[in-house]
Amino acid sequence: MSAPVQLLDYPQPGIYDELVDEKLRPRPAAKLLFDYVNRLGIAELLARREAVDAAIMAMGITFTVYSEAGNIDRVWPFDLIPRTMSKREWDRIDAGLKQRLTALNLFIDDIYNEQRIVKDGIFPAEVLAGSKNFRAQCRGMKPRFGVWAHVCGTDLVRDGDGTVYVLEDNLRVPSGVSYMLENRELMKRLFPELFKSSPILPVDDYPAQLYDTLAALAPQQQEKPVIVVLTPGIYNSAYFEHSYLAQKMGAVLVEGSDLVVTKDDCVYMKTITGLRRVDVVYRRIDDEFLDPEAFRPDSMLGVPGLMRAWRAGNVGIANAPGAGVADDKVVYTFVPKMIKYYLDQDPILANVPSWLCMMDDQREHVLANLDKLVVKPANESGGYGMLIGPRASEEERLKFADLIRENPRNYMAQPTLALSTAPTLIDDSLVPRHLDLRPFVLQSDKLYATTGGLTRVALRKGSLVVNSSQGGGSKDTWIIDLGDE
Amino acid sequence: MLSRVAESLYWIGRYLDRGENTARLINSTTQVLLDLPAKASFGWHILIKVAGLDAEFVKRYPQADEDTIIRFLVDDEDNPSSIISSIHNARENARTVREVLPMELWERINSLYLYIRDNGPRALVGRGPREEVLRGVIGRRESITGLFTGSMSRDAAYQFIKLGRNIERADMTTRIVDVNSALQVSGDSAIAALTTQRAWVATLNALSALQMYRNHVGVHVRRRYAAEFLLKDTLFPRSVNFCFSEIQACLAALPDNPAAIRALRQAEDHLTGMRLEGLTSPVLHDFLDDLQGDIATIHAAVAGQYFNQHQPKNGQSAGQ
Repeated sequence: MSAPVQLLDYPQPGIYDELVDEKLRPRPAAKLLFDYVNRLGIAELLARREAVDAAIMAMGITFTVYSEAGNIDRVWPFDLIPRTMSKREWDRIDAGLKQRLTALNLFIDDIYNEQRIVKDGIFPAEVLAGSKNFRAQCRGMKPRFGVWAHVCGTDLVRDGDGTVYVLEDNLRVPSGVSYMLENRELMKRLFPELFKSSPILPVDDYPAQLYDTLAALAPQQQEKPVIVVLTPGIYNSAYFEHSYLAQKMGAVLVEGSDLVVTKDDCVYMKTITGLRRVDVVYRRIDDEFLDPEAFRPDSMLGVPGLMRAWRAGNVGIANAPGAGVADDKVVYTFVPKMIKYYLDQDPILANVPSWLCMMDDQREHVLANLDKLVVKPANESGGYGMLIGPRASEEERLKFADLIRENPRNYMAQPTLALSTAPTLIDDSLVPRHLDLRPFVLQSDKLYATTGGLTRVALRKGSLVVNSSQGGGSKDTWIIDLGDE
Repeated sequence: MLSRVAESLYWIGRYLDRGENTARLINSTTQVLLDLPAKASFGWHILIKVAGLDAEFVKRYPQADEDTIIRFLVDDEDNPSSIISSIHNARENARTVREVLPMELWERINSLYLYIRDNGPRALVGRGPREEVLRGVIGRRESITGLFTGSMSRDAAYQFIKLGRNIERADMTTRIVDVNSALQVSGDSAIAALTTQRAWVATLNALSALQMYRNHVGVHVRRRYAAEFLLKDTLFPRSVNFCFSEIQACLAALPDNPAAIRALRQAEDHLTGMRLEGLTSPVLHDFLDDLQGDIATIHAAVAGQYFNQHQPKNGQSAGQ
């Protein structure tokens, strides 16, 4: 007897689907999952979903939405159908991610030092001049290994034709990795039989890798450097993650008020037995709030003097202040050129074709095609402040055209990608929903990328917005070793 | 350990115990009422008074009947000492120090909060469901204590939670005992004696102390011996004296402890010096008041040494 070919009653998605091909047959990496889900049947699947929801509630896996002051945490929306990918495809992406972060770090280091890339005419001085995240306070700094962005969250999407593109590089304080780890924990709790002897590659070495990456930044080489995770506090949307990572790394979770920089330009934390020296700060606070002496004087979250201590070489900070200069959607468009310039290599991963509104001819194209394009501001994250042309009203488009004309440097545009889909359990059936993938890449003395990453899924029908703050959910991501290398 | 973390751990211990003890207080009071002879009168208002919440209560509620007081003590999120607020506060503190706690401990504290949030309203519909819901709180809180005792290294984090628990427990025991000093019985002395005796049985019950009292003191419950048992016994874990020796053990395991130990010694001296034979209700009440003052002094010494030594904090205060 042969197993049923179809995945329950999953309908034809119409575009590239991560799990099934155009004839609704499983892609090779999805075969195991496919058979398993068909064996379970929809009723059992629904029962497991209930169990998952209860587990999430009990584990207190939450995220926070800024505007909901009274009800500060929401339960993390998790879909129990994983997204699958073959190891062979993943290996190529892995190499591409490492290549990209290497080039980005060379770029940041260059920008704060010689600026060769500007002098050589590859990167326009005017883009730099208009950069919101360039920090003059960081000029001339040479962080260890020449690395500024130690932790990068790279957003990948697959277009309708199957090509994987880099959508953006998050180099400031990217979040989501704790959900990647928790999603796997949930899956193992709920489907232990699947993981028994399976080709699903593990993801749980991230905290140890992050620890090594951070420990390498300690001012003096030592056995057990004191590492702290600096959080803005429990009202931050990613507080759960800050606490989670500190716990997994055996680091100390601190708020700004727990730290002090004394006259010797060293950072200390306030403990029950007095002050204790801190070697490395993994900060999850934006540059502007990091140090009221150097940046926004009204910041209550930061540590006065932290920049002083960093510049004196008395503390490692990840990501380095100023690393965000490369986290800019306009700078993004130059990454393929950076790879060529610094590494003399061709980019392994493609950028989404983009138009820069600061260039006159490209701007005209954008303004004439607003109904077809996605327009993004250079420095927002979380999906805020962007225009999805095909879904916007005429009025919204006109408003956006004005915004672009007022400040062309601040905008770039891309074609509306038909993001790939995967089966998602909505109500009581499997339906296609659009998704992306955020792997996390680490760099200090060595490079590391997570195995897969965080798959985010737009839970609303037809929606392309995957951000958790705007109705997105997430899935476990399975990189499957098919033994075909 | 960070001062902020130490403070949060301490408050987790206090808030969890406050929630549990408030549940115990309500259940025991309900029992007293059931056993009261027809001629005796009892005011629910005493619960508010012993908890030190009169002002807070009068501000918002026009009358002090059973339903209103139960709502205020169990399910009123605006009352900072209600069961739901205490457990919510314990959970929020736990959330900020999750990385120093065993993962499961956080999950159980979170579950306890979800339990009281979902079942709190059921405690307001009658004495039967109320007792059941409050027992649910007590049982879940005890399972947290069990996990805490069984799964945490005896490090500073452990000591601060235990310290908070025992300071709160000592304080709450004095308050639960104090309920009896407000009992007013009119009429003949036989009824009065019987009522007083029943009330003390209920108090022992509230603190899960009745059987231990029988085993170690005797089968007859008398005011003097019951009070002595709950305040001075060296072996019963909810007696004030026992809590003091637990506090002593915590402080001994922490660095830089002289100021806090001095405060504890003073409290212990006062407790030892209390003469309980033949005392009247008002005198007992004054004793208990003094004892509460001593416990507040221990708290202040702990806070001054471990929480606030670097700068004044604007967060929690002892009254919260």
